Amino acid sequence: YRDLHTFELQAPTRLIEWARGNRVCVAGYGQCDGNEILQLIPPPTLLTKETQGLCPERDFKVECGGFSERPVYSLKYVPDTSLLVTSGPPDSSLQVWQVSAEDSDVIKSVSTIATENGTGQSWAKIATISARAPWVLHGSRLDRVQITEVESRKNVYTAAIQGNEELGSLAFLDCNLLLLCCATGQLCLADTRQPQSLVEAVPAPSAPCSEHWCMGTRHAAQGSEPSSQPVARLSSRGLLALTDLRKTSEFLALAKARVPSPGSGAEFLCVSWAPALEGYLAVSGFDGTVHVYDTQSWDSSGKEAEPIFVHKGHIFGGAGGSRDPPLVTVHTWHLQKPRTLLSAASDGSLHVWDWVQPCGKC
Amino acid sequence: RRFPDFSYITQNGRLTDFLDCVIISHFHLDHCGALPYFSEMVGYDGPIYMTHPTKAICPILLEDYRKITVDKKGETNFFTSQMIKDCMKKVVAVHLHQTVQVDEELEIKAYYAGHVLGAAMFQIKVGCESVVYTGDYNMTPDRHLGAAWLDKCRPDLLITESTYATTIRDSKRCRERDFLKKVHETVERGGKVLIPVFALGRAQELCILLETFWERMNLKAPIYFSTGLTEKANHYYKLFITWTNQKIRKTFVQRNMFEFKHIKAFDRAFADNPGPMVVFATPGMLHAGQSLQIFRKWAGNEKNMVIMPGYCVQGTVGHKILSGQRKLEMEGRQILEVKLQVEPIAHADAKGIMQLIRQAEPRNVLLVHGEAKKMEFLKQKIEQEFHVSCFMPANGETTTILTNPCIPVDISLGLLKRETAIGAAPDAKRPRLMHGTLLMKDNSFRLVSPEQALKELGLAEHQLRFTCRVHIQDPRKEHETVLRVYNHLKGVLKDYSVQHLPDGSITVESILIQATAHSEDQGTKVLLVSWTYQDEELGSYLTSLLKKGLPQSTP
Repeated sequence: YRDLHTFELQAPTRLIEWARGNRVCVAGYGQCDGNEILQLIPPPTLLTKETQGLCPERDFKVECGGFSERPVYSLKYVPDTSLLVTSGPPDSSLQVWQVSAEDSDVIKSVSTIATENGTGQSWAKIATISARAPWVLHGSRLDRVQITEVESRKNVYTAAIQGNEELGSLAFLDCNLLLLCCATGQLCLADTRQPQSLVEAVPAPSAPCSEHWCMGTRHAAQGSEPSSQPVARLSSRGLLALTDLRKTSEFLALAKARVPSPGSGAEFLCVSWAPALEGYLAVSGFDGTVHVYDTQSWDSSGKEAEPIFVHKGHIFGGAGGSRDPPLVTVHTWHLQKPRTLLSAASDGSLHVWDWVQPCGKC
Repeated sequence: RRFPDFSYITQNGRLTDFLDCVIISHFHLDHCGALPYFSEMVGYDGPIYMTHPTKAICPILLEDYRKITVDKKGETNFFTSQMIKDCMKKVVAVHLHQTVQVDEELEIKAYYAGHVLGAAMFQIKVGCESVVYTGDYNMTPDRHLGAAWLDKCRPDLLITESTYATTIRDSKRCRERDFLKKVHETVERGGKVLIPVFALGRAQELCILLETFWERMNLKAPIYFSTGLTEKANHYYKLFITWTNQKIRKTFVQRNMFEFKHIKAFDRAFADNPGPMVVFATPGMLHAGQSLQIFRKWAGNEKNMVIMPGYCVQGTVGHKILSGQRKLEMEGRQILEVKLQVEPIAHADAKGIMQLIRQAEPRNVLLVHGEAKKMEFLKQKIEQEFHVSCFMPANGETTTILTNPCIPVDISLGLLKRETAIGAAPDAKRPRLMHGTLLMKDNSFRLVSPEQALKELGLAEHQLRFTCRVHIQDPRKEHETVLRVYNHLKGVLKDYSVQHLPDGSITVESILIQATAHSEDQGTKVLLVSWTYQDEELGSYLTSLLKKGLPQSTP
């Protein structure tokens, strides 16, 4: 490691979201009342791109917080507003909150975006964008995907897609194109201008079994086409499929991450692309580690890939012994510092780590 | 404004008459810096309480503070050395958990606060009302200090510092790793590391850390400890060994604190030696003496490093560099490129505050804070989790807190015996309701039986009797109905005395049942059920039982 910080949150989080001003947001997902949503100011070492020689402060500061009655499974800031949106069980509705750090340190609950709740629906996956107005894309199932204008709560788009598959994740490619990843592994491309049908459906990389899938997308640089960035799909068995949206008939690459078996379920599967390093991605959710891979050397054979770096810190943090080893619930990359990641685990730990490129690689 | 405005306490009259005592929580200057001004210049002759280590260390810091302000900065209207001495004469030192009677009504007790050597939280009690003031405290044990601790004293009010409540601290392991890494890097490139220390705790902690690291990494660079430090530190340790945590106590007993393999005594000539080294020197704030001398020699070289203890008084070089100044003027010469690392002193974070509240169980909480709008979240958190009121007054604002005083009540032995005889004895998990009469007479409260109360008050007892009519469909003669009722009740109420009296009425214990025919309808019989207030429960039960009707099979 070049640098390592370990923190202990009062309650574990399963989300780490970046906000304006390099703020970080975490939230509790406990079953009882009183889950806290915390917007944090990272220590000065993380606020700047360059690692300063010596910095007096190594602590996070809570800038503001809110209380949620339901567990918070997903949270997204709404760009160009002071709002954020959360979702969580027991249904697929969304909660809208207001953050006004200058006036008060309380994140206030503002409104709810209700959804039609059929039976057997789980919590909604969300994505936000600032298009003609601030929009939130949400849904728990393929046939229930919609876009709602956050402030007016008006419905802007409802997909009339067939299929009741549960969604793993969803994303805006731009204000017209949506990317939906089903838990079965199927990737769907939809256009808001054509709600009746899908633009494209990319099948799952392997025959359907009890695997669960999620995806990671990378933001294109200003000016370049959104679909030029490869999409990564991760399964609960450790399979990683990279797809180029311009050429979906074949895989860009296929590999297998080294994961313990039997797997620990698909609850916290997380795959993300490094924003500042080309071709690097990170994977977590199988145990108490986070793996970093360089995908540039991958082919489509599906063989096991060797991680460039493994963060094991969460395993050593806990009390040890009697309790179950902690499971990494989420990870995210620092937006500017190329090799810095943040990861959280089920024991409430929050780590910030800056890994060193191993020797022999340029 | 250099000192607090003490006219907030009282506008008129002497402070000595108005105040019962003054309490100092620990030796940091933001908690004791105005004490000699207050007692000798504003005027206060009453008792001043603090713990033993605080009493030993305060005068040293106050004198340092005076020297910097008067001699170096030329301030007038400041307290003198004699004033510090006179002030300390008014100090009464207290032990932890020792109840100190300030006067017939007021008592105080000190609790361990962690934070720095000698820091204490104070419980202040008058009768059954109490307040706990925490001062600065820390809930995570250190290498050399334990964690703060309060018993379940249930004060009416807990006053706690909340400025650091928003901090989520990096783990100790990572801080130490970072510290060692930076020392290592400096030494590897031939630089020198200066660590100014006050004398206690911090120095030893860092020494142990470095010694272990040096051993493990097989490092050769020398580590020095200035001798003035050794004497002072040893002296304080012997006096206050009970104030440090278990580990240090054990270490001290096993070996002299400064018998380190890699750490040697310092000589000022060494500062000019070429090559890497680490030096611990006093004083801690870099305002005078050896540490300042060394600093002057080394600060200009960017290969060198200074590690600050994190607390320095305004005006000192230490304070300047902590506030980020990299260019300092020292007697006309400019010095550039000060690189530094800070080891902050631990304060309570949000988790720590919640822990303390959980331990003490106060009825109300008051937050001493920086800015009100930054404390709203913590206030809500405390109110939601503990269901207590939380206040955050600004300077000059008065907060009124309602307390629930405890009033002792004596219970008469006769009543106690009688209630215990009825039914099962109450236990800790199943309290039982008992009935009595509360008499408030001559400033005393007693719980007695109603009969005794009536007697004492000279009141006549009233009898309350309830009568209820239950209609029963039964075309037979009255006395047959009565017989049916009697047999039915005898069968159901096996534990009670059910009797059929010669005059045609039924009694269940002392409850009377009589039957008459309905005036308009021969097929209906009216049962009159009558009972006294004392038999209310049985009476109601009987009535509802009878309302259900009689079983057909009864003859």
